[in-house]
Amino acid sequence: MRYEVTLDDRRVRVELGDHGRFTVDDRAVAASVRETVRGRQWSITLAGESHEITVVTHDPLRLDVDGNDVRATVIDERALRANRGAAGTRTGRIELRAPMPGLLKAVHVKEGDHVVADAPLATLEAMKMENELLAPSAGRIAKVRATAGAKVEAGAVLIVIASE
Amino acid sequence: MRAADAAYAIGPAAPRESYLNAARIIEVARRSGATAIHPGYGFLSENADFAQAVAEAGLVFVGPPAAVQRLLGEKTAARRLARVAEVPVAEGTEPLTDVAAARVAAANIGYPVLLKPAGGGGGKGMRMVRKEDELETAWRAATGEATTAFGQPALYIERAIWNARHIEMQILADNTGNVVWLGERDCSVQRRHQKLIEETPGPSVGDGLRQELGAAAVRIARAAKYENAGTVEFLVGGDRHFYFLEVNTRLQVEHPITEMVTGLDLVALQLRIAGGEPLPFAQADVVRSGAAIECRITAEDPRAGFLPASGVIALVREPAGPGVRVDSALYAGMTVPTEYDPLLAKVIAYGRDRIEAIARMRRALEEMRVSGVPTSLAFHRSALFHQDFVTGRYDTGFIEHWDARIAPELSAGATSAAALAAVLATRARGERHTLPPADAPWARAAREDALR
Repeated sequence: MRYEVTLDDRRVRVELGDHGRFTVDDRAVAASVRETVRGRQWSITLAGESHEITVVTHDPLRLDVDGNDVRATVIDERALRANRGAAGTRTGRIELRAPMPGLLKAVHVKEGDHVVADAPLATLEAMKMENELLAPSAGRIAKVRATAGAKVEAGAVLIVIASE
Repeated sequence: MRAADAAYAIGPAAPRESYLNAARIIEVARRSGATAIHPGYGFLSENADFAQAVAEAGLVFVGPPAAVQRLLGEKTAARRLARVAEVPVAEGTEPLTDVAAARVAAANIGYPVLLKPAGGGGGKGMRMVRKEDELETAWRAATGEATTAFGQPALYIERAIWNARHIEMQILADNTGNVVWLGERDCSVQRRHQKLIEETPGPSVGDGLRQELGAAAVRIARAAKYENAGTVEFLVGGDRHFYFLEVNTRLQVEHPITEMVTGLDLVALQLRIAGGEPLPFAQADVVRSGAAIECRITAEDPRAGFLPASGVIALVREPAGPGVRVDSALYAGMTVPTEYDPLLAKVIAYGRDRIEAIARMRRALEEMRVSGVPTSLAFHRSALFHQDFVTGRYDTGFIEHWDARIAPELSAGATSAAALAAVLATRARGERHTLPPADAPWARAAREDALR
């Protein structure tokens, strides 16, 4: 199976073959791979150099590589083929999502309002702090999906902005 | 709970129903046969009503008495006290109740100004306002946070001091009027007025300034009839002028660095003082040697504007070795809740000098691993190599100027290994089967500890 991996802004092709053989950017790589914590941490020795990679979070994929923080994505060849057709459609709708679970203290806009980028849209209380959620871009408020006083989960869509 | 000899449930996770439920805590103390209550450094440590309720219940509160907490807890009253004690304060107002009054006061003082809760300190609810059109949004957020944190919406305005360092002085006072200072901590590396790195001695603090700050802190403590451990906070401007900020009437999160350089156990001394014993040493006996740094590892993502994160800890490896101390409650299986501060662990490094402390801290941070939530580790690791930190020329703007976008330089080998691990991690996730835990994760972690 072939994969396209991104590590921050670097792109790497990985192919997993049989018997633990694999290639990186089409070059065969000899490595000893040990899973030190199941599904979470690997000790990998390559050309006499030992590396330790720990999964910080799975979704989105975030790795600790020898003490360096790296954002990663992995796409396999099937997904890669499927994606090529669908990519590139722009909806013109931008969703403001709750970045963390918390209590929605206030919503400062209503449907139909026009907002500029970085305008405060709502106040979310989490971890004993009030966080002003700002408009990711300018536009018209198309939908307000949450009400003040509600508990919201991380990722919940709070407000939809239609870009103009 | 793992480290405790006995544990009593005080209520569900919401602070109002557990840590802020004074009656319940006192009842548990009675039931357990405890004669004193140490409030830690959280919700109850600066709550005068709690201190009073503890005393009225016939128990000992480990900390300053309620009257002292009330006096210093009202931040504008504390500023008046500092002026009487001949300690300089930054230009500021009395408590304000509405945004119109704030607008007038801010215009008089001149922007930028700080909005601060009158009812309590520690940086909660504090907002920097750079220009007038930011005032209303800032006021709304700050007054809401002040109400949540301290139960009082009142704010006051203080002139913002640029390029300032946040320097605080540790004091100890017994019940017979002895007051000593133990040394300063530079806590300038802050974000949203929450500290992320502290160190002692302050790299910018010479002997002269240290003596002055110590003497000023003792004057304030005497004027307030202070008892037990406390911290007097100052801002020190680029011109070395200092201004009183506030008194934290509790043990602070960063107290271990003072313990490392003085060899004193501050919690033990707190208990002795609370038990009525006099201080076992005088000012001249306090000897500081070496340097210590603390990094507060938090569940915040430094590459996403330090956004707090929640989740379940999957794996922890804490650093160790000479001069390294870790104060933490982390264990695999622990849920990082949203109800409390995002602090996960404190890593403290001691060295014979600052250079050795930095070297040990770098090594400790490199060794540490946390899996399950994004943490501030990436920030701390890079900060300890940042030229401004290494040379000691940093101020409270340090994090603002820190560039979160810098991607780490990986060697060719590390890149290959990381790419392979990324694929393996993605595949492992697809076929993962997790067994249901047999018992509470903290109980399992305790058993694993015992087996080591």
